[in-house]
Formats: sequence, C-alpha cells, structure tokens
Amino acid sequence: MKERVFITLTNGFKDKLFRLAKRLLVSNEEAEDATQEVLLKLWKNKKKIEEYKNVEAFAMTMTKNYCYDKLKAKETGNLKIVHSNYKDERPSLQRQVEAKDSLDWVGKIMNDLPEQQRMIIQLRDIEQYDNAEIADMLGLNETAVRVALSRGRKKIREELLKKHNYGVV
Amino acid sequence: MELSNIEKLLEKYFEGETTISEEKELKVYFTRETVPSHLERYRDLFQYFSEESTITATRDLKLKTRNRPKFAWVGMAASIALITGLFLTRTNPPPEKVDTFEDPEIALQETKKILSMVSQYMNEGKQGLVYLKEFENTKSKFIK
Repeated sequence: MKERVFITLTNGFKDKLFRLAKRLLVSNEEAEDATQEVLLKLWKNKKKIEEYKNVEAFAMTMTKNYCYDKLKAKETGNLKIVHSNYKDERPSLQRQVEAKDSLDWVGKIMNDLPEQQRMIIQLRDIEQYDNAEIADMLGLNETAVRVALSRGRKKIREELLKKHNYGVV
Repeated sequence: MELSNIEKLLEKYFEGETTISEEKELKVYFTRETVPSHLERYRDLFQYFSEESTITATRDLKLKTRNRPKFAWVGMAASIALITGLFLTRTNPPPEKVDTFEDPEIALQETKKILSMVSQYMNEGKQGLVYLKEFENTKSKFIK
C-alpha cells in the first residue's frame, strides 16, 4: 500500500480517532499524540490492512486501547488526592468560572462520566455510529451498549437539570 | 415537528431506544432558534453534540517513513564482498611441503651442512662488529 492511498483511507476517520482520544484523555496534545501513534501503528502494519474487514472500527478500537493504557499509566504515575469524606454538592467556584459557557458545561458533565459511558456517548451522539458498530469497537454486546448509553444520557440530563435549577430552587 | 412528538422522542432518547435518524431529527430540532422553555435545557446538549463533531486536530499528522537511500544496498554488498574476500584469501592453505630427499639420514646431513654454512657466514660478518667496541672505549674516556 502506498502512502497516498493510506492517507486517503485514514483521512476518512482520523478526526474521529482524535475526538475519541480527546474525549478520553481530555488534553488536546495528548489526543494528538494518541492519534499519531495509532496511525503510525496502522501504517507499520499496512500489509495486514486488507485483511481487516473494517479498518475504521479497528482503528477506533486501537485508539480506545491506547487511551486506556495512557490513563492507566497516569493513574499509577500520579499521586491521587482522594477526599471522599466530604463533597461539595455545588459546582466549585473554579468550575463555575470555567464553565461560563453553557456548552462547555455539557462537556464538563460529559467528561465526568465513567470512561465507558463517555466513549459510548461520544461514538453514538457525536460520531453517529450505530450500536452494533460501537459494540464491535468496544468489545461489548449491543445490550450493554444501549444500557450504558441510556445511563450516560440520563446522568447528563440530571446534571443539566441541576444546573438549570441552580439558584432557582 | 409537533411538540408532543419531540417529547416522545426525547423520552425514547434517554432510554437509549432512538434510532440514528431519530436522533438526527432531535439534533435538527434543537439547533433551531426557538425551543419551548421547558425544553430549553436540552438545547445545550444537542448543540454541544453537533459542535463537538466538527473539532479536528490542529497538528498535522505525519507518517514518519524511514526511507533508506536507494543505493544503500550497493554499499552493503560491497562491504560484505570485501570482508568475505579478506577471509577467503587468508584461509588459503599454504602450499604443501615436498620431500626432496629419499633418505632422512642424508637429509639431516644436508641440513647440518647448510646450517653450519649459515653460522660460518654469521661469524665472519660478526668480526666486522668488533669495531663497535671502539665507540664504547672512546665514550668511557670522556664520561667517567
């Protein structure tokens, strides 16, 4: 496979890879690194590309795995400050300032979801893959995808409602 | 689309039972200018989704392909040829020695004759070296 063919092939979904990586890793730079890494890995295995029945789904799975590895490495590398004994139910001042823009707020809510729900909402509501494709990418069954999707969406709704009624109720 | 329909779709949406096309309808509906106030809060959500689907990486992603220079293999072949050549010429067995005498006794005597001739010449040559002693003598005259 020639470089140009490969680039036209991956151009179709490389932004999707980037957005998935960004959803999981949050940082722009890290997401770019992840995308680059995944594309490089694909390029190195270009001889096998024809064997994959769905390169896009395969690349998505690779991205997911790469990001999981990154997140795991971060967790072990960093000292986590856990303060589980008390919790401020109101959004912190910093968050209020950060999320002045209401769309940012949705993003914040979304990034607080568990990784799996976050990914599924990303793939379904933003990239518009159907549940079967998502199940294939994440190695789940379709029912699990639907349940996680519903839970994630409801959680977002709940948080949005809180925000909407904040100061009113 | 009618309001009741949208509400029904929203309910289905949160149960995760809408199809992709129904979700598209919702997106279209909520990106409109006017949305009834009780549905206002969902507008951010669907707007966020449609906005997020447009972000792209800012950095250009490149494939680092390590292109070897085209004629690198010529150099490699040459060096391999050189090394194997060296080894091959080195390991050529020296020509085998052939006996020139039938009788070992005669051979011994011939060898002795040659060796004594060599030593005789050596001794003759050494006699010329006696003069070297003069250097030592004159040197010891000056340096005591």
